[in-house]
Amino acid sequence: MKYFAGIDIGSTAIKVALVDENRQLTGYKISASGSMFYKYAKQSLKEMLDELGIDEKDVVYTVSTGYGRKLFKEADENISEITANAMGAAAAAQGECEIKTIINIGGQDSKAISLDNEGNVVNFAMNDRCAAGTGKFLDVVAMNLELEVDELGEQHFKSEGTPLAINSTCAVFAESEIIGLLGNDHSVEDIVSGVHYSIAKRIIKLVKRVGIKEGIYFDGGPALNTGLVQAIENELGKEIFIPRFPQITTAYGAAILAHEAYEYENSAE
Amino acid sequence: MTQKSKIETPKQRQNRHKAMEAATVLNKIKHDFKVPPKAMDYFYDLYERVHCKQHSLHADRVKVGTMCIQVPSEIIYALDAVPVRLCNGFYTDDDIGSDLLPAKSCPLVKATIGQFLSNNFSDKPDVIVSPTTCDQKAKSGAIIEDMGYSVFDMEFPRTKESEESREYWRRSVRKFAKELSMDLNKKLTKKKLKEAIKKVGYAQHLYHQLNVLRKHTNAPILGIDMFLVTNAFFFDKIDHWIEATAALLKETEQRAKDKVNAAGKRSPRIVYTGSPPIFPNLKIPLLIEQADAVIVADETCSSNRMFNDMVSVDEWFIYDMVDSVADRYLKGCTCPIFTKNDDRKRRIVDLVKAYNADGVVYQAFAGCQVYEMEQRSVLEAMEKEGIPVLYIESDYSPSHLGQLTTRIEAFVESLKNRRRKKS
Repeated sequence: MKYFAGIDIGSTAIKVALVDENRQLTGYKISASGSMFYKYAKQSLKEMLDELGIDEKDVVYTVSTGYGRKLFKEADENISEITANAMGAAAAAQGECEIKTIINIGGQDSKAISLDNEGNVVNFAMNDRCAAGTGKFLDVVAMNLELEVDELGEQHFKSEGTPLAINSTCAVFAESEIIGLLGNDHSVEDIVSGVHYSIAKRIIKLVKRVGIKEGIYFDGGPALNTGLVQAIENELGKEIFIPRFPQITTAYGAAILAHEAYEYENSAE
Repeated sequence: MTQKSKIETPKQRQNRHKAMEAATVLNKIKHDFKVPPKAMDYFYDLYERVHCKQHSLHADRVKVGTMCIQVPSEIIYALDAVPVRLCNGFYTDDDIGSDLLPAKSCPLVKATIGQFLSNNFSDKPDVIVSPTTCDQKAKSGAIIEDMGYSVFDMEFPRTKESEESREYWRRSVRKFAKELSMDLNKKLTKKKLKEAIKKVGYAQHLYHQLNVLRKHTNAPILGIDMFLVTNAFFFDKIDHWIEATAALLKETEQRAKDKVNAAGKRSPRIVYTGSPPIFPNLKIPLLIEQADAVIVADETCSSNRMFNDMVSVDEWFIYDMVDSVADRYLKGCTCPIFTKNDDRKRRIVDLVKAYNADGVVYQAFAGCQVYEMEQRSVLEAMEKEGIPVLYIESDYSPSHLGQLTTRIEAFVESLKNRRRKKS
């Protein structure tokens, strides 16, 4: 059996995914990017293959993507995370939902991607420069409130009434805003839901730039946060599709592209 | 004590930083791509002399520093002076200029002011002409004047459709010609002005000849090389520029005949528009061509717009000539400072069609309000025509290349995909 690997070297996490000849997801692994992107990416790929009991030689084509894609020298090809994300989303939702719009919130940036009927990228928008309203921002919020990031969703649903207004999605400014709210005796859960709504409003501005078309897919680590998902759905007034493994959509897309490229190269001969 | 002598003066440090900036970009252009035309060596060498080694080119001449494309160079040449365009692309100078200007100003304006602040010129201007085009440039004149320079504010209208604005601008150009002539103590003669119009016109003609070669399916020359050629017109001796460009034209014609392709086999073709790329800030054009696309045409004031329209004269009398010069600078201008700007949209669409481009990249400097504001209407116009556009906001800072690269590469990938689906 031949296998195809996709490696997504992101700012916060390295995601590796493996597909077989039928483009079925064989395995995946998520690890921290740390300070040595290349070393950890190689390590992560090896660990995944060991766990699956697959020989490295059977991996016949590798595509790297993400912020650190060019560092992974062994890759047969590297491709931008926008193309890979589009590919992965269409495949992950296949048979369940026809994806037209992708919202991706990563460790340090967020994107909105618009697709045509055939799943091609027609337009995209990215946030500018800073980590405002991204995964990093959620980390800072959780730390301030003495919570783990994966507790944020649960807290969100405990909040009653109107969510608090958090005006800044900048990690630095929001910190002082949150301290101000705590000082005014607001509850942790109300602050959490306020934070989620402020991120939702920001991301929707980005989505509006590419046009909101139904068949909305949400991925990246923060898509695991059910509170944030609810906030985005409420702000949009539309249901959004969350894949089974929201963190690895882009790596999965890169693996599919690896299969596609392999087939193309071998059919051309 | 010996250590103390090692401390550089601010000027030395600035020059070192600027030389490093320039050398980095030149090396990328020279070595990261396929073999450029041999005639490009003249330009590479020119940038190295002027921007890395601070060589003066016009030591024996009176230099008129121009703050914007709208200053008629024909009149300056006719008065035996040399126009030196001061629009600056150095991050080092941008950083220096930030001391004087609001944080959200345009990097080009900050860099221009920064160069005055550090008083660091390879050819220092004797007189400065500051047209009142955009707000930031208009206000810069006074800041520079406060530093002790002689500045002439050249009034420029914000509309171009009306008869009033044309008359206003003609009067402004006449006044400029008169004052500069008095200031330099030179008479503006019929013969000299005619010669200057012909010479600048010939330079424009050469550029046009070279530019149309980019219509070939195999791009005979890269966009970044073309930006170097046009940027050199800011400061080079015009006769040398004409000679070098004529040689480049000849070689590029041969390359086109031989079907030499400076880009890749499937490189998408790009029309570049927006805030002007000025050496060494060729960041976005470089990223585009490093991402396996090729810039086949542009609509910017640091390049195409300088050469677009020639002065057309009915009667070779001095007053007619001065008015004709004025008309060329106003009517042909597609700068976003104007109230409406249908000309610009039309020109971009025309370029896309004529040069068979796959998409448009629109760059606005963060802080360049007019380009930022006009983005929406240009994007709408492109959408109507079915032309894909990538809008990028950027500044001179060398960091944050990661995000820009991702955007540009994704755009290039989507253009390739689109083309594949079409065929």
